[in-house]
Amino acid sequence: MNFTVALRTTFLALFLTAVGVAAQNSASQSKAGGSKSSSPQTGNAESAQGERLFQTQCGRCHTPPEDLSPREAKAVLRQMRVRANLTAEDERLILKYLAP
Amino acid sequence: MFVKVLSVLSLLLSSAVILSAQSETTPIISGGVQYLSTTASGATVFQPLISPVVAVPIGDHWLIESRATFDEVVFRENGSSGPYHALTFSSVDYLQLDYVANSHLTVVIGEFLTPFNIYNERLGPVWIHNLADAPLITGIGTRTSGSSDGGMVRGVALARKNWELNYSAYFSALVHASQFGAGRTAGGRVGIFIPAKRLELGLSYQRFLQDQHLNSWGSYVVWQPDSAPFDLRAEYAHTRGGQGYWVEGAYRFSRFRGENTWLGRLQAVGRMQQFYLGTPAPDDAVPGADTQRVDFGLNYYLPHNFRLNGSYGRQFSSLGNSNIWNIQITYRFLFPLIPGGSQ
Repeated sequence: MNFTVALRTTFLALFLTAVGVAAQNSASQSKAGGSKSSSPQTGNAESAQGERLFQTQCGRCHTPPEDLSPREAKAVLRQMRVRANLTAEDERLILKYLAP
Repeated sequence: MFVKVLSVLSLLLSSAVILSAQSETTPIISGGVQYLSTTASGATVFQPLISPVVAVPIGDHWLIESRATFDEVVFRENGSSGPYHALTFSSVDYLQLDYVANSHLTVVIGEFLTPFNIYNERLGPVWIHNLADAPLITGIGTRTSGSSDGGMVRGVALARKNWELNYSAYFSALVHASQFGAGRTAGGRVGIFIPAKRLELGLSYQRFLQDQHLNSWGSYVVWQPDSAPFDLRAEYAHTRGGQGYWVEGAYRFSRFRGENTWLGRLQAVGRMQQFYLGTPAPDDAVPGADTQRVDFGLNYYLPHNFRLNGSYGRQFSSLGNSNIWNIQITYRFLFPLIPGGSQ
């Protein structure tokens, strides 16, 4: 029982911390001009095409991940190429969007 | 035999982590964490869960990936009274080696998620699905463990400007090993995707090849109209044990003030499902009677990959009607597996 209470408290604490940090970060992002989803590197044509592809191919199941480095994005896209049946060209363009 | 193959895969996974550390990509660990509270017929159950996915890309064509799930079910002895008890579960959902030959062909060996319709393979992770409870027909075509042990080929068979034809075909061996259990089956899925309409339609088939041979088949549709932030997903599945369908719609209020505003982070979800009992075998993972269920939920997408869900469902069945309340917090994480791997 003690374990259960501890587990619930830990989750609640983690959640509240995350919400607090998130709220702070959101405020600083709006000051800095917005986040990826509100301003997704539209200056680059391939990046915009990649965003469009992300929305049609990956967005069928989930929202975009936040703050990926190019190396992490490549690993994610290799996984998604298998899971979501992406073509090589899809992979290249979505990479431009996720980690330009 | 199959356990030996999976052991070799595990060894490969460890050595590949070291090898890939020097390449243009990096091994990652991602996945989801959930804390779910379910109240059904007055009894509350808590279910914390973590489901990490390790992905190790090797060179330009190879990938080793694996997902495990660790969860606990905490419940009271007499349903709504008495002392609490907890049961802990762990499972390896998949451990597979992928070879991406080209856009048309990827070869997969090892333990993989059974590609029947869309829920098991695409919508299963806790941070993806819109409602905490899996549909009633999830057990059809994914019977035993939801995973298959053997080989699979998949890819985009044809890609044209206006449509794509994707496919998966697999064979699975009967494996009784702990954590890697699977049935002897063969099957596949084929889907046609129309990017301009953001519409995918597909068909699935599975032949169960052990004990009593039987067929399962299904179909699905996924549609996201361009004109509104709306998702429509639906599946139908049929097997000797029964048949059923679910239809789910989700609308995100992002058109009013943008996606990252307090209102834009809110999503309303509704799902309706029906199941009709056939002649189930003892180990069929289907409801024990004709069942209808409706669910309504609200999802709130917090920054940093947190999400809050609340839903209410009403289930109608000859075994008893019930109200089902779910409250869930999910967190989706992604980190490099090696320190400094993102650099």
